[in-house]
Amino acid sequence: MPVADLLVGGILLGGVYALMACGLNLIFGVMRVINFAHGDILAIAALSTVSIVVGLKLPFWVAVLVVPICSAAVGALIHLLILRRIEGAPLIMSLLATYALSTILVNVAILIWGGGYSGLPGVLSGSIRIFDINVSVSRLVSFACAIGVSLAVWWVLEYTRFGRAVRSVSAAPELASISGIAIERVRLATFALGTAMAGFAGVLVAPAFAIDPQLGSRFIIKAFAVIIVGGMGSYPGAILAALLLGVIEVVGSYFAGAVIGSAFLFLLMLAVLLVRPRGLLGAGVRV
Amino acid sequence: MKGINPLVVAGLAAIVAVVLPFIGSDYAISFSIQLLIFLVLAFSWNWIGGYAGYTHFGQVGFFGIGAYVGSLLSFHYGMPWYLAALVAAFAGAVVALPLGGAMLRLKGPFFAIGMFGLARVLEAFALGFDSITGGGTGIYLTPVSDLRPIYGAVAAVAFVMLLLTWKLDNSRLGLKLLAIREDESAAESLGIPTTRLKIGTFVASAIAPAAMGSIYAVYLGFIDPPTAFASNMELTTIAMVRIGKTYGNLMVDVQATSEKLKDRGRRIVGIVTGLDYDASDELLKRARWNVKTAIVMQKTGLSYAKAVARLKANENSAREAIGEDIEPRLRHLLKLDKTEKTERSDSPIDPGKLD
Repeated sequence: MPVADLLVGGILLGGVYALMACGLNLIFGVMRVINFAHGDILAIAALSTVSIVVGLKLPFWVAVLVVPICSAAVGALIHLLILRRIEGAPLIMSLLATYALSTILVNVAILIWGGGYSGLPGVLSGSIRIFDINVSVSRLVSFACAIGVSLAVWWVLEYTRFGRAVRSVSAAPELASISGIAIERVRLATFALGTAMAGFAGVLVAPAFAIDPQLGSRFIIKAFAVIIVGGMGSYPGAILAALLLGVIEVVGSYFAGAVIGSAFLFLLMLAVLLVRPRGLLGAGVRV
Repeated sequence: MKGINPLVVAGLAAIVAVVLPFIGSDYAISFSIQLLIFLVLAFSWNWIGGYAGYTHFGQVGFFGIGAYVGSLLSFHYGMPWYLAALVAAFAGAVVALPLGGAMLRLKGPFFAIGMFGLARVLEAFALGFDSITGGGTGIYLTPVSDLRPIYGAVAAVAFVMLLLTWKLDNSRLGLKLLAIREDESAAESLGIPTTRLKIGTFVASAIAPAAMGSIYAVYLGFIDPPTAFASNMELTTIAMVRIGKTYGNLMVDVQATSEKLKDRGRRIVGIVTGLDYDASDELLKRARWNVKTAIVMQKTGLSYAKAVARLKANENSAREAIGEDIEPRLRHLLKLDKTEKTERSDSPIDPGKLD
């Protein structure tokens, strides 16, 4: 397989990682919560998409609309029921809570959908040729949508009133609260937005990958790798690192097999943690 | 737990543990083995995750290493399970030493995620190098006919772990670890060799899990990557430690109001209210170290209880409670904070930690 094919494949894979990692990063920045359940939201969103398209025989765009909204609602629920109660507690509490939540979600998903693989063979199938490279339509579309949404959210954070509120809560919650920003509401909205991004990533994954309830745990660790390599809390860093890691994973899998190939990502993550813990573009987060 | 002497509880538990193999059914013994394995894992995790404060999700990595080392030894060389467990424990320590040296340079969420990633790397390797580990098919061991010796071994390890933790709790070493958890640089400056202690604790906390992994494989008669590196096991272990902690048995849940945080609180209150350092300190003491309450108290002249009540009535927004807009000053302050951040990483105000 020529180099160009691998590069394109890797970048397309990186798009979904970017969307997922951006959501995770957003949540971490504002709430100082590492959401272990992020990947499972993605998995459940992907499985729901399959159920909507194959089971209910509705068109794909219905899932595109409905699933992220439902994910946001689930996110809001998680925040209200769990995370809001352990705010200000030591980091271990939120890690443990979301880790437990992740386990629960995986098991619920296995109860509902069973442990097997499913996919959406009929949606966005086929491939097109661009400059002599075969590109699968589903991966191209998911890449474009994922990067598009990531950039849109970035724009919202940078240039809107809501974005400014989010950034102030992230930078200095105490001062933001004194300045009259309703930090509780901002946190709630941020968590819902982050989960909606995971949900949307799930919708995009459905036609492009084989999905099963355990997909989340495979994706979350890659998203961790992305935000650590890119720098925790750094939005452009996450997008850049996602593309980089996508390429590394595809190239690594090509030369060393799929399982060892994905281990390359973690090794890179460990290397970055040891050499430059704040990541490529991270400003450094104190904990 | 008031009214119950912990020694009595421990004594009763010891009697039950000793008598069980003679009177218990096979199911009771089998169940107890699992229980005790978790107990050992929880004790081990508590050393590094609880005492030294290095919370992590990677202990199952050592469990898995032990499981594979033990299984391969007994599968290929017919080594008896107790010897295999000893070698596995040794292997756990050997792997933990360089890993600890590298990983313990990380802190907080970075350490937690790094270790989590490490466990997943190991799982991927166990899957990927299928010529050695059998990959996803796993390794089938000769089933053990009598579980009693295994029970005895696990119970003995659990007892030793209990003893060691009890010793640790009453020792200078334990206090040093707690000091690392509370404020590592302060501990370092007091002459505690933090790096050496951290790595030592990390290695010590890897030995028993590796041995347990090896024994668990024998107990199941089978091992594959998802079993050896099961993240559920991690969760159960840590949950056990945490639940123990909320009931306040062996460990003291120290209040998070360390001097460092207090200092930040004084500075913020000083900037917002214009009070000097000592006056801010005095005010914060009256406000039970809650910055927001302190500001409201100063601006309104209310007592602590009334300030809390007013904050509650105004949904915790200090601005509403005071009835004054202090935003311009804060904006100025934020800007200052930002320029400072680019210059040095440790700005005086750490917003993430203040209530």
